[in-house]
Amino acid sequence: MSTQEARERLELLQGTLDLLILRTLIFGPEHGQGIARAIQQTSEEELLVEHGALYPALQRLEERGWIAARWGTSSNNRKARFYSLTTDGRKQLVRETARWRRLAAAIGRILGPEARRS
Amino acid sequence: MFRSRRTASDFRAEIEAHLHLEAERLQEQGLSEEDARASALRAFGNVTQAQERFYESGRWLWWDRLGQDLRFGMRMLARSPGFTAVAVATLALGIGANTAMFSYVNAWMIKPLPYPQADRLMVFESHDTKKGWTMEGLTSTASFLDFQKQNTSFEQTALWAGWSFNLTGDGAPALVEGGRVSWNYFDALGAKPMLGRTFTPDEDRPGAGHVAIVGEGLWQSRFAGERTIIGRHITIDGEPYTVVGVMPGTFQFPLMGLAHLWTPLALKEEERADRGRSSVTAFGRLRPDVTPERAGAESAAVFGRLERQFPRTNTNLTLLVSSMTDLIRRKEGAPEVMICLCIAGLILLIVCANVANLMLARATNRTKEFVVRGALGATRGRLARQLLTESMLLFFFGGVAGTLFGLWGMRWIASEIPAHIRGYLVNYGRVDLDATTLGFTLAVTLLCGLVFGLAPARENSRPDLNRTLKEASGKASDGQRSARLRRVFVAAEIALAVVVLISTTLLVKSFIISVRPSPGYDPASVMVAQLALPRTKYAQESRRRVFSEDVLARLHALPQVVSVGAASAVPFGGFGRSTNVEAAERPAPQPSDRLFAQLTAVSTDYLSAMRIGLVKGRAFTSEDAPGRSPSVIVNETLARDLWPNEDPTGHVLRFGDGLTACTIVGVVRDVKMDQLRPRPQRQMYVPLAQFPSATLGFVVRTAGDSATMAAAIRDTIWAVDREQPISSVEPLETLMAIVDSGNRVLTKLMVFFGVLAMFLGAIGIYGVMSSLVSQRTREIGIRTALGASPWQVMGMVFGQGLKLTSIGVAAGVLSALGATRSLAAILYQVTPNDPLTFTAVPIAFAVVAAAASYVPARRAMRVDPIVALRYE
Repeated sequence: MSTQEARERLELLQGTLDLLILRTLIFGPEHGQGIARAIQQTSEEELLVEHGALYPALQRLEERGWIAARWGTSSNNRKARFYSLTTDGRKQLVRETARWRRLAAAIGRILGPEARRS
Repeated sequence: MFRSRRTASDFRAEIEAHLHLEAERLQEQGLSEEDARASALRAFGNVTQAQERFYESGRWLWWDRLGQDLRFGMRMLARSPGFTAVAVATLALGIGANTAMFSYVNAWMIKPLPYPQADRLMVFESHDTKKGWTMEGLTSTASFLDFQKQNTSFEQTALWAGWSFNLTGDGAPALVEGGRVSWNYFDALGAKPMLGRTFTPDEDRPGAGHVAIVGEGLWQSRFAGERTIIGRHITIDGEPYTVVGVMPGTFQFPLMGLAHLWTPLALKEEERADRGRSSVTAFGRLRPDVTPERAGAESAAVFGRLERQFPRTNTNLTLLVSSMTDLIRRKEGAPEVMICLCIAGLILLIVCANVANLMLARATNRTKEFVVRGALGATRGRLARQLLTESMLLFFFGGVAGTLFGLWGMRWIASEIPAHIRGYLVNYGRVDLDATTLGFTLAVTLLCGLVFGLAPARENSRPDLNRTLKEASGKASDGQRSARLRRVFVAAEIALAVVVLISTTLLVKSFIISVRPSPGYDPASVMVAQLALPRTKYAQESRRRVFSEDVLARLHALPQVVSVGAASAVPFGGFGRSTNVEAAERPAPQPSDRLFAQLTAVSTDYLSAMRIGLVKGRAFTSEDAPGRSPSVIVNETLARDLWPNEDPTGHVLRFGDGLTACTIVGVVRDVKMDQLRPRPQRQMYVPLAQFPSATLGFVVRTAGDSATMAAAIRDTIWAVDREQPISSVEPLETLMAIVDSGNRVLTKLMVFFGVLAMFLGAIGIYGVMSSLVSQRTREIGIRTALGASPWQVMGMVFGQGLKLTSIGVAAGVLSALGATRSLAAILYQVTPNDPLTFTAVPIAFAVVAAAASYVPARRAMRVDPIVALRYE
């Protein structure tokens, strides 16, 4: 993939990375690279996640107790740090998802007519 | 907080794993190994930045910086050992004084008494609703026994009376302090014997139980700690008693004082029925669901009924239910201890202001260092933190040294309290450095370090880069704000020092006033031997008379003896007793209107041996012999109270239960019998020959040394009766000092605090003035070069010092006017606003402060303009 392609992708809105990480982990433990990959693939390559930005976010979530980490072995037999959702994290995901849906709907209503016209 | 501590290498490994995983995935998609790696790196973004962000988000940075600050702070402190030594030493004095004082506040006012559920223990105090007096103990045994039967508030109520026992057999005869106690005394306190049992109700009846309980100390010293002591017979007051239990050495009842031996109270029938009098004291343990207020209300109700039932004896009398904890704390000197802690607190504030000032002065000299660090990118917060760390380090070392000094102070105070007094202090007056005290010290140290470290840190962390770097020397006239702050500090310090000095001077003055006047006798070179004759052996009055006359005659024959005398009670001896008195010619007063007087039976030569001044009439002579009509000598207070504006000699006075009539033959001066700070007390003397006493104090005025004399006196008494225990042979002045030991310790502490405050105030102003002078060296040089005379320069500097001092002293005097009011309760014959103290102390302090600022002023005078200007 070229830089050209990358630039056309959507930059992440402030604060949404945490939500996406939590959402990704709902399917079970995953390591950092897997999370980055999953976010890109599920968003049909629309979202741009700089992999390096992922780690401070993971660090932050871990400190808040929303995710837990443990070293494990990946499917291709490489040592990797696996993150999993905690009970608190699950609750936070529900809260944040609801909040995000309300925000998106509200913005959608404001932008609504223009979207129909185009 | 430290839960998610993660090492940087762990983080690096994770990133490495990520890059591998990503590259492997790309290789699977067909990229070459090299391209895959490059692509993975590109997708990751800035690896170094991610690592830095991890590092900064972690606690590692915080710890790292703290470590740096600490190391740097230690280096800075080590680089100026003089400053560090002065700061740590003064902090140690301030913190140590607070630690020592707080340990007493903790032991006497915070810690509960060493009994289970001590808050439910109540003491009964008699109270006269009409006259308003309150006294510990009972005025009517029968009334209390009624209350004991009727009340529903108390689980148990127990009675006790302090007692001295003559212990004979098993070694030298000894007088042992202890008490006669009701059978449930130990149970009510919640104390258990370490061996054997306590008393049973059956043993608490007259004639029933010749049983005794001994204390661990006595058990060890006299009975070698043998377990066979239980069931053994010992001889108390000449009668056999069976030991039933041993109380542990930790058991103590501060209201009774030192106690090593207990026997059942076993009140006689006539004592139980007596409504007019009582010699016992009582306490009780409240039921868990009863408040002291409810118990008090119940007691008032019971005594209200008794008052209607027995108007002759019980009118106006009631029984107050008071907290035992409060009573003991009051007796231990809780107010004095609190005042000491307050003064120690002021001392600490002075010390802190001093140290903050030193730090400010030092930081001013380090301005260049801060400027350079600032220019190299250190943020203001970082510089402030560095300075704060340094001051916290100083306070930490001060705290450690202070704790040691405080420990020493605690030991010193304990050593100043005589053993006899310790018996009345909870835990025998022992205090230790427990968790509460350590916590207090730590909190005080950290708080002071933070508060007084913040000011210099705030001031010095914002140096003006431009100005300071421009001025080549980096120390010229900058730090205007910091100089102002230091002047504020030093003025506050002087004000505090003046408050401390005035308070301590008032307390010392009241102590001097209390010991200066003559006690009414001449205690110098008088030895006192006290003893109590066993009741059985000396039941007959004649035997007691013969004993005392025999001992007196033998003592008189000893070499180096100036004069001798004997009395039923000597001043500060502990045998004193009171009796009711009335004028024979007037109708008998109501029981509650009775006058009481201290009664002493004295030998014919006692008054002259003690040098008690005769005001009117005559002293006792051999005329006042048994069988003749009894005579009495009264003191001026009793004379005034019974026959105001009349010559009492020749009048007849009646005293005691039997209202014995005596003719007054003389009037003597008031003497101090049991307190050094008394209100005038009524006193009366009767001839020992006519009223032979079982308690005796022999006074021997001697020209020889006290140790040899003491031994000679003992031998003389034992020559008369080989089995007679002697309670003590001591100089009269020692007995007086024991009673006054609390005030003596307080006074020594006050002298220490006062001198410390003066010293700290002086070094405070000296420090500020000399650093101001050294900062103004260039200015002074210019002034001199332009023609200012050395005297003008000196006047300028000295004037500044004087101005600071006068502001501080004036503020101090004003604050002291308010502050000393809280001393009123413990001052004796000194008003809290004593004009002399309030004038002399500020003047003395101003002189010292002026002297302290004179030295730097002299230095300013000698500044050589050439040197000062070249100094750059």
